Amino acid sequence: MTAAVFEPRSRGALREGSPARSRAKPYANPYLSGFALGIVLLATFVIMGRGLGASGAFASAAAAVSASAAPEAARASDYFARYLSPEGSPTVDWLVIELIGVTIGGFASAFFAGRLRHAVERGPRISDAARLRLAFVGGSVMGVGAVLARGCTSGQALTGGALLSVGSWLFMGAAFAAGYAVAPLVRRAWT
Amino acid sequence: MSVAPGYQRYLGAAALVLGTLAIVAGSPRLGNARVDIAGLAQIVEREEDHVTALELADWIRGKRPNLRVVDVRDSSAFEAYHIPRAERIALRDLASTPFGKAETIVLYSDGGAHSAQGWVFLRAAGHERVYFLRGGLSEWLDDVMNPAISSSTSESSRANSARIAEISRYFGGVPRSEEQGEQAPQAVPLSDAERHNSQPRAEHGHAASRKAIARLRGRGC
Amino acid sequence: MSAPFFELEAFGEGTSLVVAMLIGIAFGWVLERSGMGSARKLAGQFYLRDLTVFKVMFTAIVTAMLGMFWLGWLGFVDISRIYVPETFILPQLAGGLIFGAGFAIAGLCPGTSCVSAATGRADGVAVVLGMFAGVLTMGALLGSLGGFYSSTPRGVLTLPDFLGASYGVVVFGVVLVALVGFRAAEAAERRFGGRVDR
Repeated sequence: MTAAVFEPRSRGALREGSPARSRAKPYANPYLSGFALGIVLLATFVIMGRGLGASGAFASAAAAVSASAAPEAARASDYFARYLSPEGSPTVDWLVIELIGVTIGGFASAFFAGRLRHAVERGPRISDAARLRLAFVGGSVMGVGAVLARGCTSGQALTGGALLSVGSWLFMGAAFAAGYAVAPLVRRAWT
Repeated sequence: MSVAPGYQRYLGAAALVLGTLAIVAGSPRLGNARVDIAGLAQIVEREEDHVTALELADWIRGKRPNLRVVDVRDSSAFEAYHIPRAERIALRDLASTPFGKAETIVLYSDGGAHSAQGWVFLRAAGHERVYFLRGGLSEWLDDVMNPAISSSTSESSRANSARIAEISRYFGGVPRSEEQGEQAPQAVPLSDAERHNSQPRAEHGHAASRKAIARLRGRGC
Repeated sequence: MSAPFFELEAFGEGTSLVVAMLIGIAFGWVLERSGMGSARKLAGQFYLRDLTVFKVMFTAIVTAMLGMFWLGWLGFVDISRIYVPETFILPQLAGGLIFGAGFAIAGLCPGTSCVSAATGRADGVAVVLGMFAGVLTMGALLGSLGGFYSSTPRGVLTLPDFLGASYGVVVFGVVLVALVGFRAAEAAERRFGGRVDR
């Protein structure tokens, strides 16, 4: 079973028979993209005096949900309290707006590149349902890790990395090490 | 490579050059780090480091633009009485409070010593228009809230006395004649206008953006 | 020093949210352009097939790091006003390990999961929901923020302070590590297979 998930560069190769594929542009050069991302990050530092983030927005959203569903629990949680007003109501968080922007930007880029597609990204040896379950589980595990580490690849690795924060570099090293350690166990999902 | 390697080589070379230069460039200027002791000593000698209570009263009453009156005492002392328009910022938070460049900051404490220390912190942090009330709240109470009015009848003296009395009454103070002993400084009940004025600027402007900045910090990533 | 603009009160909270939106859009655009919205591509890094993630991330880190150093040196930015995340050694190590494991399982990280979901990928949506569930659970469990979560705090601790080296030397070191890493990444990709390009 050739798992042609990692196919050699072949423009115009159709996969899964979707006609949209032939319009899809190839991805941009990673170094150029990284440079562009670095400029965006730098602009954030210069304009806002802070960096980028993603998991913080999830924390905000979680705080807001618990504030409306279980207000006492929300007030009792020191973690959620940080994202709520003193009275316990949700506040508009910079990160939430930023993450909404990320979603819009991602959509726009995919739209113009012909990469919008209803699909489940997975290897050929796993079913859609199983892949979706793994995605959810992986997401929850990341949620736990991000709370402990006070951030994720955007907030800690990118932002803290550029600012040379020791904790952020520790996080980065640990995350990549764990990723490489766990990956063989889920190889079936991709190949 | 999908794009001409030239791009990548250029980026890599630029990074290497900038990184190598960084070794010899020395530390970037840190807003916080410099204490020019000689310079500060000169300012102290020229007596440009402090204001008198009357000067401060003039500034407050004259609605001097961009004035920040900062009380560095603890909150219970602040609640009991504070100079109108004053806001409370603890000494340890002073250096990290984002004052604007154009703001005139006047610090005060009970006797003046803590506010003098705060003055050093803020000047070290690079703020230039910083002063402190050298006699502290005691000087305010003595000279503004309960000032001794000279009973001399000379022109200039009477004009001066009238001015001081007027300032004092503006703040709800009680002038006394020189013969009278000091009256116990009253816990002055602030009029509604005074109470409104003595709140830190709310809603729009600096207090709001300070709150916003404080909220943005510590929110995690 | 003219920057950071928001810290020096050049504009207020409302404008800062507009800035957030614009920055987010740029962030998401670049992520998608480089393929970071594709779980297959991201997962490829863990099999040394496709190290785009490493290249993008480290190029970004080096760019922003050099930018900060030199803008600070020029006196344009007051770098002491930049919010640097605080260091908590054990929680961040543990959190990193846990996060990395989840990353390998999910194939997406929080930011890229939003990009992936935005482009129609159902697995992106699943990761987003999972993240939300994970954070919500942790928040509920962290009734009081003591214990492990707040252990080993070191405040703002940067590599120059920690290593006892100057800021410039550390910057140089990171650039070197990145450049060497890029060479290694290219070699690994050539050795272990083609990149994921769609």
